[in-house]
Amino acid sequence: MSSLALDAKGLSKAYKIGKTRQQVLKNVDFSAYHGQVTMVMGPSGSGKSTLIAALSGLMRPDEGDVQALGESLWNKSSRKVDKFRLDHCGFIFQGFNLFPSLDATAQVVQILRYCGVGKRESHTRATAVLESVGLGARLHQKPAELSGGEKQRVAIARALAKSPALIFADEPTSALDSVNGQVVIKLLHEAAKERNAAIVVVTHDPRLEPHADRIIHMEDGNILSDHMISAPPS
Amino acid sequence: MSLALSTLIYEWRRYLAAIIALAVAGLLVLAMTGMFMGMSKSFTATVDRSPASIMILPPEAQSLFSNNSGQPRRNIPKIYRHADVLDVQALNMNWAFWSNFPKDGQPAKGDGVRVVIVDPVHGAVTLPNDFSDDLIQALQQPFSVIVDRSSLGKLGVQVSDPAKMNGIRVWVRAVCDGYASMFNASVFMSRQTAKLLHLLDDSQRVGPLVVKIKDPAQAQRVAAELNGMSDGQYKAWSREDLSDASQKSMLKEGGISVMIGFAVIVGAFIGVVITWQTLQGAILANIKEFASLRALGVSMGSLRLIVMELSLWVGAAGLLLTALLTGAVWALAKSFGVPMDFPLFVDLPVAITLIGIAILSGALSLGILKKSQPADLLR
Repeated sequence: MSSLALDAKGLSKAYKIGKTRQQVLKNVDFSAYHGQVTMVMGPSGSGKSTLIAALSGLMRPDEGDVQALGESLWNKSSRKVDKFRLDHCGFIFQGFNLFPSLDATAQVVQILRYCGVGKRESHTRATAVLESVGLGARLHQKPAELSGGEKQRVAIARALAKSPALIFADEPTSALDSVNGQVVIKLLHEAAKERNAAIVVVTHDPRLEPHADRIIHMEDGNILSDHMISAPPS
Repeated sequence: MSLALSTLIYEWRRYLAAIIALAVAGLLVLAMTGMFMGMSKSFTATVDRSPASIMILPPEAQSLFSNNSGQPRRNIPKIYRHADVLDVQALNMNWAFWSNFPKDGQPAKGDGVRVVIVDPVHGAVTLPNDFSDDLIQALQQPFSVIVDRSSLGKLGVQVSDPAKMNGIRVWVRAVCDGYASMFNASVFMSRQTAKLLHLLDDSQRVGPLVVKIKDPAQAQRVAAELNGMSDGQYKAWSREDLSDASQKSMLKEGGISVMIGFAVIVGAFIGVVITWQTLQGAILANIKEFASLRALGVSMGSLRLIVMELSLWVGAAGLLLTALLTGAVWALAKSFGVPMDFPLFVDLPVAITLIGIAILSGALSLGILKKSQPADLLR
């Protein structure tokens, strides 16, 4: 398999705000590789979140297409895009978005069950992935009993459990202190290396830069710079 | 445990308004029908607790209350033609005017009462099967009567007080329980006392006949066979069938059905609106979590299923609370001597309606899921 995981060409997206039309993505080309953490940085309003929404199948761009794992993402029906995300995509958001009533294990099991994994198997996998993010002792805690860093680790475990080839993280550390922020980005980095996933992280946190394999700067809906720090694995 | 159930348990406060709305809607209908059924039950108490397994009514009677205009006394020997019949008696009822002897400061009471005439000997087919030995002995004395405990105040007497019935002095020798009546009180007396009070009607027409048979378990069969032999002169009912039919006929023919129908409509409307709005609010509070499931690829159909399951559980919780509240109202009514009854043919439709309200509210709440746009989670 080619190590190119995502290849987007000519992505454009405009929002209508009142009577004015604001172009947030302007003919952007983008690629991401398996085994790499690609960091998209830029000030707020630069279009980076819209970019990952278009790359990940969350929001249809006005123009352009995305080749994701060799498939044309936006030529699919919305039902098939859902299925693509279920099979291949993990998401980590700034807010952890965990159901308050479910304990850590149940949060992970839930998504595995939707992927069609059996009950027993999904419990085994949930426990294993939670242990791998350092939550072996917190398996049965509900979100209210977990710290911010722990909640984000549950969210990461939920994203990693189905072994996705693509992981998208939107400001995953901005609600966390620096220690927890480092833990989270390290986990994402490990996921790239050990699971050969393509990880796209949108952030404006400069402390994360040392963990990136590639850094892309955006501003006003355009890519300003694309800096490859380590070459993608062949 | 499913996400829907665990959410309901964990965030029960959020769903409480919906659960209470459902419970109150259920209680509204059940309390009204329960009270009405209780009233009719008080009319049928003497039948329900008769040791007779079979009742004989005129052929055109559909229940104790409808088209039951009495039957010729000569029906009694006809019933004995069946080999399984042990005893046949007319259930004698009458009306009398009751007045007390007011003690110092006590108001004088005068009221019409329903006279129930029994044979105070063990095993008599006219004697209610919950009458104790003490009650039987009390009834054996001439001029003695028994009233329900809850009627003492209405009749202005205490145990061992004298009173007048149709101007003749009687004594309240004891009280019984479970024969409370919303309207006229029931007064039990022996056949002998009834004769002394000129209350025993020995004309050629009698009311319902009560029939004792060899094996009460065979009541359905014997009733069917008696009907086969009836030549259209009478209709035999098993005790349970008659009690059921009598309650249903009161519900159908009484004006109460209009009131209950109105209560059902109002209750259902309020239930749907409150449950729907509460469900919507509660789903909206978790909309980001739903959106994160959408982001991870869970289909909209699956989210809809979660909401429908949630609404079903809210319905089940509402049903449970309805049962608890109705039980409490029942106990309260009992302590005041107000008879209530909740037959299954009322409970079941109410339960189904409540679940229906919950499901409809869930269906109406589905629209809110459109707000679970995963792209909104990106900042």
